[in-house]
Amino acid sequence: MNLEVKNLDVAYGNGGHSIQALEDVNLKIDQGRCLALVGESGSGKTTLGKACLGLLPNNARQRGSILLNGQEIDTNDETALNTIRWKSVSMVFQNGAANLNPAHRIIDQVAEPLIQHGGVNRDEARGRAAKVLEEMGLPEEFLGRYPHQFSGGQVQRVLLAMAMILDPGVLILDEPTSALDALTKGVVSRVIEEGRSRGKAILLITHDLEFAVRSADSMAVLYLGQIMEALPADELFSNPLHPYTLALKRSYPAMNSARDLGGIRGDAFYRTIHQHGHEDETDYLHSHIQVPESSHKDGHAPPSGCLFSERCTQAIEECQKGRVRFEQAGTHTVRCLRRGIVDMLELKGVEKGYNSVTALCPIDLTVKAGEIFSLVGETGSGKTTLAMTAAGITRPDQGSRLFEGRDMDRWIKKDYKSLARRIGVIYQNPAESISHRFSVLETVAEPLTIHRVGLEKGERVDRVKKCLADVHLSTDRAFLERYPHELNMGALQRICLARALVLGPRFLIADEPTSSLDPSVQAKVLKLLLDLQIERGLTMLFVSHDIGLVRKISDRIGVMLQGQMVERGPASSILSQPCHPYTRLLIESVRRAFSLELNRGNNRQHPAGCSFAPRCPERQEICDKQTPQLRDIGHVQVACHFPLNTPLFPFLQ
Amino acid sequence: MHVKLSRDLRQDPWFLIGLSLTLLFAGLALLGPPLAPFDPWDISFSPISPPSEMHLLGINDGGQDIFSELLYAIRNTVAFGLLSGFTALVIGVLIGAVSGWFGGFVDAILMRIADIILAIPAIMILILTASLFQPPPYILALILASLMWPTISKAIRAQTLSLRESLHVRAASQMGGGNWHIIRRHLIPEMFPLYLIGFAAKTRMAVFMEASLAFLGLFDPSRKSLGMMIAYALKYYYMEVWWNWLMPPILCLSLIIMGVTFLAISLEKVVDPRLREALVEKTA
Repeated sequence: MNLEVKNLDVAYGNGGHSIQALEDVNLKIDQGRCLALVGESGSGKTTLGKACLGLLPNNARQRGSILLNGQEIDTNDETALNTIRWKSVSMVFQNGAANLNPAHRIIDQVAEPLIQHGGVNRDEARGRAAKVLEEMGLPEEFLGRYPHQFSGGQVQRVLLAMAMILDPGVLILDEPTSALDALTKGVVSRVIEEGRSRGKAILLITHDLEFAVRSADSMAVLYLGQIMEALPADELFSNPLHPYTLALKRSYPAMNSARDLGGIRGDAFYRTIHQHGHEDETDYLHSHIQVPESSHKDGHAPPSGCLFSERCTQAIEECQKGRVRFEQAGTHTVRCLRRGIVDMLELKGVEKGYNSVTALCPIDLTVKAGEIFSLVGETGSGKTTLAMTAAGITRPDQGSRLFEGRDMDRWIKKDYKSLARRIGVIYQNPAESISHRFSVLETVAEPLTIHRVGLEKGERVDRVKKCLADVHLSTDRAFLERYPHELNMGALQRICLARALVLGPRFLIADEPTSSLDPSVQAKVLKLLLDLQIERGLTMLFVSHDIGLVRKISDRIGVMLQGQMVERGPASSILSQPCHPYTRLLIESVRRAFSLELNRGNNRQHPAGCSFAPRCPERQEICDKQTPQLRDIGHVQVACHFPLNTPLFPFLQ
Repeated sequence: MHVKLSRDLRQDPWFLIGLSLTLLFAGLALLGPPLAPFDPWDISFSPISPPSEMHLLGINDGGQDIFSELLYAIRNTVAFGLLSGFTALVIGVLIGAVSGWFGGFVDAILMRIADIILAIPAIMILILTASLFQPPPYILALILASLMWPTISKAIRAQTLSLRESLHVRAASQMGGGNWHIIRRHLIPEMFPLYLIGFAAKTRMAVFMEASLAFLGLFDPSRKSLGMMIAYALKYYYMEVWWNWLMPPILCLSLIIMGVTFLAISLEKVVDPRLREALVEKTA
């Protein structure tokens, strides 16, 4: 069977204010497929599940249609609905035991649908129920018990058994794993797996993203009743396109990601909508997004426009205006005016040489808005040159640079200042990047002076103080008047950071920004950077030797070797399963020292062949002759003739 | 910054000596002539008299009061030196900074001009101009300045070249700082010691030059000058006049130069915070 939802709108309440639970929802689940519906609480996931069974309460107003095998379900016709329920479409409700009658034995409750809808007599029904329950891993002695004698996980299995007993064509699972431990989740997985192989269409409603990725084929991300993105399930962690999907992914504690948890700025509980006659406009439609601090009176969101725009870090003015269409973008479909997450920086074929030394071979680099991209690699691999080229300081010999979609070289020539205030740079050597004739105040205020921000003196000092407080430095008068030579390296580095952030840049290029900080301050500073990423969508290009640190903050990683990028991809896959032997060496050498043999010849320039060949344990003849090109392996791009395919820490996989 | 600076300065002996000498001669240059007891051009006294209560330094061969003459001479010499030194500094810093910061064609042209000027001996030009055209002294001071700037601008240019590669200047230009911002906030303060050294050196040179020209008799003979006084006094070296006639102008000349130099040294120390640290440690 297949299930299709077309232009579904659901609103609760009548007259005055109603809550818009679903709007313009379109989705289709084919036979043998599983679609996972994910999103924050209050996004309308359960409403959608219930709507498919015609179970919405009386105060719900529904528009649009739900089609089962191409036939519309008439939600007003109770008798027709009853023939569909359990038999064709069944649902596992959330909140476990509350769905069971405490006064009846489990076996009777499971057998009940079979008797009511299947026309089977009691004894046969009991027999079949016992069999299904056993398949769910509930032994015989449990069958006569009452719901209160069951644990949460066991109740979940009972509910699954109930849903499966009539072998329906469509299965709706609402948060089936929320109360389950990791081992019991396996039962749900098995049910989904079996259901798919038997040609069921499964709608999985969950906030357990990892489970959704594992179980489903495709995924729909719901936000305040609208589907923001529909995507192949396995791309959720590696290639989210909508800013909301990315933020959701960052908020989820995935097993194979060591990155600190992010979040989404602001809140959104639900959306109300109401219509009333105005003097001039008779049908004026209001829409409000309920947030903690706003009541009905304020916060009149425009009736159209992107619902996520208030919380989106890449929102532009237009996002508030027009209705946003749900459009195809590659294998994804997104509801985003900007067609998903935009590219902040795009370097194409960038090359740089210093006299006879090649610092950068032609290199491509794309940094998406709101992400932290880390460049790692040994000393002299061209990390800093690449970062400085991205910052617009170093001019590449070849290649094009785009920043926010505009040609950087032309931008530099035409209106450098407006570019400069979008890019903050932290240099490798903090002591030298500050004039020793500038006091702390003058140093941090310099960008403000250059850009004539805060022309009143008090205002500037206040901004400087706020910035210094952000980087955990003193803000008292005496400190503001101190000179660089009176301060230690850690303080200087934080002053550099404050200076880079004082204008509120969109893009931060940081070359070893925490190298001279002690762990406690480093932790605070990184926390600040991650907070800025959530709050302002700060994008970062982060250069570091410190793999441990990179692991905690990066979204994506690029590995540099002799001016080339030999591997790049999502941080979690690169760190857990490096494909390039060089990456593996880098990561493993954090844990143990390697013999000199592996390090020899690390700065030799090779006329042809892989630059890592002299040190590579996997080296073969072709490695010396032919330079490997970047190619896709899964979600990662690797330049290696013989990429590794064993995970670094096998147990985690 | 400024509170601390003045405190540090007050503890610096170089500064105190330099400042008192400079103030003394500045005071003498400003207030000397009105204070002078006699008109230095008045020849109504008996020539070559030793000092007396009325004539503190005696009377010269022309029957003029040497003390009054000295006060007028100091004004002329100091004014000539300052005018020439300051003009040379302004030209030198501007040309040096522009040349170093912009580089390329501008740099090449300006530095070739500087090389040509460096090759011309200043004293020759001045002697020739003074003897052929007899211009007023301030014109001579400006001509001297236009011959002295190349050494200043070479030093400024070299410093600018190294500064423009320094990380904090590159950081400022990354932040969007324009040429003017960088020259004003980074290059000029960074090179402050160079100006003081340059200014002191050129002022010193101009004071000497003025004295030399006057010594050679190339100024209007009625213009009082330390050099001219020395020249006249030397004619009577066989008489017992060296201590009251020859010594005062020589001493004044030396002290003017010393004062300017000391002041430059101490200011340089105070303006550069790293040198200042050393200074505070030393005096503490």
